[in-house]
Amino acid sequence: MIRKLVQTALRSTSHEVHIAEDGRRCLALIGEVRPDVVFSDVMMPGMDGFDLADAMHATPGLAHIPIVFMTASVQREQIEECFRHGAAGHLAKPFTMSELRARVAQFFKS
Amino acid sequence: MRKLPRSLRFYVAASTLYAAVVFFAVQFIYTFQLTQSGLLVAQRDSGDVLSSIQTVSFIVWLGISLIAAAVMHRLATALAGARSAEGEARIAEEQKEQELGSIFGLSAAIAGPLDLDQIGAYFVAAIRGALPADTSLALIVYDDVLEAFRTVAADGPRTAALREKNYSAADLPAVVRTRVIDHRQSLLLADDDAHADMWKKVVAELPALATAKSFAALPLVSRERLVGALLLIGEGSGDLIADKVQLPMIMGQYVAGSIHSALSVKEAEARAEREALVNRIAQRARASLDPEEILRGTVEELAKVLDVSRALVCTGATEDDLSVTYEWDSTGVAPVGLGAKHVPIARLAARLGRTVVVTDVRKDRRFTDPRAPQDLIEEDLIAAAATPIRVGGQLAGALSFSQVDRSREWTADDVRLIEAVAQELRVAITGAEAFGRQRAAVVELERLNRAKSDFVSIVSHEFRTPLTGIQGFSEMMASEDLTPDEMREYAGDINKDAHRLNRMITEMLDLDKMESGRMQLNRERLDLNAIVSDAVDRVRPNAPHHPVALRLDPLVGEMNGDRDKLTQVMANLLSNAVKYSPNGGEIVVSTRAEGGAAHVAVRDHGMGIPEAALETIFERYGRVESHATRHIQGTGLGLPIVRQIVHLHGGTVWAESNVGKGSVFHVTLPRAAAGTAVAEAAS
Repeated sequence: MIRKLVQTALRSTSHEVHIAEDGRRCLALIGEVRPDVVFSDVMMPGMDGFDLADAMHATPGLAHIPIVFMTASVQREQIEECFRHGAAGHLAKPFTMSELRARVAQFFKS
Repeated sequence: MRKLPRSLRFYVAASTLYAAVVFFAVQFIYTFQLTQSGLLVAQRDSGDVLSSIQTVSFIVWLGISLIAAAVMHRLATALAGARSAEGEARIAEEQKEQELGSIFGLSAAIAGPLDLDQIGAYFVAAIRGALPADTSLALIVYDDVLEAFRTVAADGPRTAALREKNYSAADLPAVVRTRVIDHRQSLLLADDDAHADMWKKVVAELPALATAKSFAALPLVSRERLVGALLLIGEGSGDLIADKVQLPMIMGQYVAGSIHSALSVKEAEARAEREALVNRIAQRARASLDPEEILRGTVEELAKVLDVSRALVCTGATEDDLSVTYEWDSTGVAPVGLGAKHVPIARLAARLGRTVVVTDVRKDRRFTDPRAPQDLIEEDLIAAAATPIRVGGQLAGALSFSQVDRSREWTADDVRLIEAVAQELRVAITGAEAFGRQRAAVVELERLNRAKSDFVSIVSHEFRTPLTGIQGFSEMMASEDLTPDEMREYAGDINKDAHRLNRMITEMLDLDKMESGRMQLNRERLDLNAIVSDAVDRVRPNAPHHPVALRLDPLVGEMNGDRDKLTQVMANLLSNAVKYSPNGGEIVVSTRAEGGAAHVAVRDHGMGIPEAALETIFERYGRVESHATRHIQGTGLGLPIVRQIVHLHGGTVWAESNVGKGSVFHVTLPRAAAGTAVAEAAS
């Protein structure tokens, strides 16, 4: 549902959006398309968001790609954990579409 | 002259001298006066007559003097004889006086001091003279707490074997035990032909008697109380016959009263001292609410006062349950360890319901007997004392002190002190139970609180995800140009999320209702196999990676139950089986008729559940949280709901698991008696 929402919300922008349904597939996809930014849930079956971030940072060509976590938690500890895993940003659910677009635009300023 | 007595010689010499002096004096006066008167003219004529007169008178004087000497001598001898008879009488009198004096002295002596050793010394000294010099004697005083006789004084050639010895009832010869201790009669025994067998037996039981020829044991009784006994050991077989032990017996009864008083005073003093110490300990104990601290304050203090190596507090309702809950060890003593069971002395004290003392475990028949339990926890143990702790007439524990460095004669004071402190410990132990309950309640509350906050975070996560969808899609519908088809699609998505939210809220409320007993079951006749197979059909499309095998037992048949609730049970178990085996794997669902119950099992090949969590997963918010389950979405309410529903149906639910290999969830539901069971559970 969130995947579909994000895809739909970014459709009106000029960005190319790729979707993967879990961490493992996402990592493969990242390797393939080399995106400018990754938005990921934390809780995913198999490889979760934190595992994905760790895997990206451990992979030479992918380490520089920023990753933003979308979490439902507003608990400080979990937000801190996001940043410990090298997150470039954090988006708390429920978020508005404009918030999402603004956050995406942040990575394309220059 | 030589044969004459010295006094006669003296009188003869004296009377001869006297006669001579008188003779010459008379001669002189006579001659002088005759001359003066002129009568001495015809000297020649009158000379013969005169000299003959003189000679005769001299002999007469001499005779008189000799007779006087003899009379004087007789008189002197008689006088001297009279004088010596008087001396003898005086010596006899003195001896009597001495004996009387010793009795009076003894009475005076023992009236003063109340020290047992002193009384013993006076007593032994007093009767010493009445017995043959080579007789050995020992005064032993009975200590009713130690249940042993303590030697207070000893004298005679066998002193070394008698002094500083304690005799437990078992240490004394059987005949002494029955005759002297039980019946309070004197025992006189000699190694003669008539008693040879008995003598042999007594000597075997009392090694101090070796090579002796006679033995006496005299009970000392005061005011109905056996305070002790006098042991006499004679080297001749006739040394200790009834006549000869009469004085010791009389004096013994006399001394018994003093010993009794001394014991009473000693007991009173010891009691006062003990009470002071116990008060001090009690004060310290009551200054704290923490049982741990109370035990430290009391047991440790007592252990130090008693100078023991180790102190143990065991708690338990029966002697077999006793386990160490507090331990104090002096420096260098290896600890037994908390939770240790089978502390032998404590067990014995608990079984007998009284204080038990062991002077030397290596020599104590209760522990050296090969049939005795060998599981002595304290392997280094030499001496020990233990007392049971009872609360409200029920065994609550035991207090045990041990000595690992030496054997130890526990005194009556030690024992009373231990018992007094054990009394104090009742407070600590009851307090500890209350404290423990309270602490457990606090821990439980903390756990619930943590679980609740975990739940809030889980629920908020679960709620926020559908909310994000609702918020996002509605936002797009409001702000963007969309085709009618897209509008319809997004409205459908919003609807789905709203339903999901609703389902979650319903689950929470349901569980609340069930836990508070407000849930009613809509009972009807139903086919459990049909419900199981419907649930499996519904889960299959959502679990493409999990082949689901169904094994139904047709004998399960119909039962009474709530169709929707049992469907919910199956749905929850199946969705868990899918969720917690992320890598796929077969899921096997089976039913089986087992007597009056229907048994449903759901087996998966997933990650499994750690053993510690097999129970807690059925508790509210009791989900296993780990790295592996972090991504698995759930409210943590699925299994608690399952358990509540099954219980309402009068059934049971449990899980078996093998971490890494999979889990099996078992549900049993009563078939025939379901109606009544449900009614009971629902009420």
